[in-house]
Amino acid sequence: MVEDKILVWKFNRGSKDALRRIYEKFKDDLLGLAITLLRDRSLAEDVVHDVFVSFAGAVGTFHLSGTLKGYLSTCVANCARDRNRLRSGRSMGPDVVEASGSNSGGPMEHAIGREESSRLQDLLTRLPYEQREVIVLHLHHDMRFREIAKALDISINTVQSRYRYGLDKLRSILNSVVTK
Amino acid sequence: MRHKKNIEKFVRVRKPNVTTSRRMDKRTLNDSFAAMEQTIRAKSTDLRPSTPRIITLSRMMKLTAAAAVIIVGISFFIAHQGPGKKGVTTKVLEVVESPSEIMTMKSLTIAYRRGGVEGIENQCEKALKILGPQPASISLGDLFNGSKS
Repeated sequence: MVEDKILVWKFNRGSKDALRRIYEKFKDDLLGLAITLLRDRSLAEDVVHDVFVSFAGAVGTFHLSGTLKGYLSTCVANCARDRNRLRSGRSMGPDVVEASGSNSGGPMEHAIGREESSRLQDLLTRLPYEQREVIVLHLHHDMRFREIAKALDISINTVQSRYRYGLDKLRSILNSVVTK
Repeated sequence: MRHKKNIEKFVRVRKPNVTTSRRMDKRTLNDSFAAMEQTIRAKSTDLRPSTPRIITLSRMMKLTAAAAVIIVGISFFIAHQGPGKKGVTTKVLEVVESPSEIMTMKSLTIAYRRGGVEGIENQCEKALKILGPQPASISLGDLFNGSKS
C-alpha cells in the first residue's frame, strides 16, 4: 500500500520508471481479470493496453483514493464491459485462454491445477457477464462489495445479489456436472 | 452439494495465472510513455506565465490584485459620486463668469431701448471692435460710453 503510494507519487512527477514498475507489478493480474471476463486473450490484451495508456495520460493529476490494484482492476472491468458490449456474435472458443492454476508444485500438480483452472474458466463463462464480473472482482481481486459497487456505479445490494445468484448458479452447474 | 464457502474457495484458488507476452509489454509501455510525455508537454504549454495564472498561483499576487481593485473602485466612486467638491467648483466658476455675461446682456438691453435693433447691431459692432483684440482690458465704462454715442 505504501509502496503503491510512493509509486503513484513518483508517477505524478513524471517518472517513467514508476510507471514501468506499476505496469510490471499488476500486468499479469489485470490480464487475468480481462481474460476471465472476456474469454479472449487478444481482446484482453487490448483492454489492459488501453487502461495503462489512459492511466499514463493522467500523469500529474492522478489521485489515488483506494488501492492501486483496486483502481486498475476497476478500470479493466469497466473497459472489458464496454468491449463486451461492442463485440457481438464473436465466438469464444474454450481454447483461447492460456490459463494455468496458481498453485505451482510438481508437474502432476501443475497439470491438475491447469485443468481445474481451465474448468473454472469454462464454468464462469456460463454465468451472465454481470455475475461473473462481481465474482471475479471479489474472489480473484479481493475487492470488497462496497468497492465494487462504487466502481461499477451500482448499489451494494445489487452487487451482493449478483454475487449470490452467481455462486448459486455456479454451484448448480457443478452439481449437474458431478451427477452426470 | 457444495456449500457456499467451498464454491468461494474453489473459485479463489483457481485464479488464472497468466503472463503477458513481451510484444504486449513493449507495445503497452511504449504507448503509455508516449501518452505520458504528451500530457506533460501539454501541461508545460498550459503553464506558461499569464496574468490570471500568476494571480491565482501566488497568494501575494492575489492580495495585491484585490488591493488594486479596491483602490480603483474607491477612486472611481470618489470621482463620480464623492463629496461633490468638483460640482461646487463648477458652480462657483459659473458664478464667477456670470457678471461679464450679465453686463453684456445689460449693454445689449440698453442699446435696444435706445435704438432698437439697429442700436443692438451698432452696439455689437462696437463691442467687437473693442473686445476683439484685447478683451481683458475693456472696462464697463468704455462699453457704456460706446453705446451712448
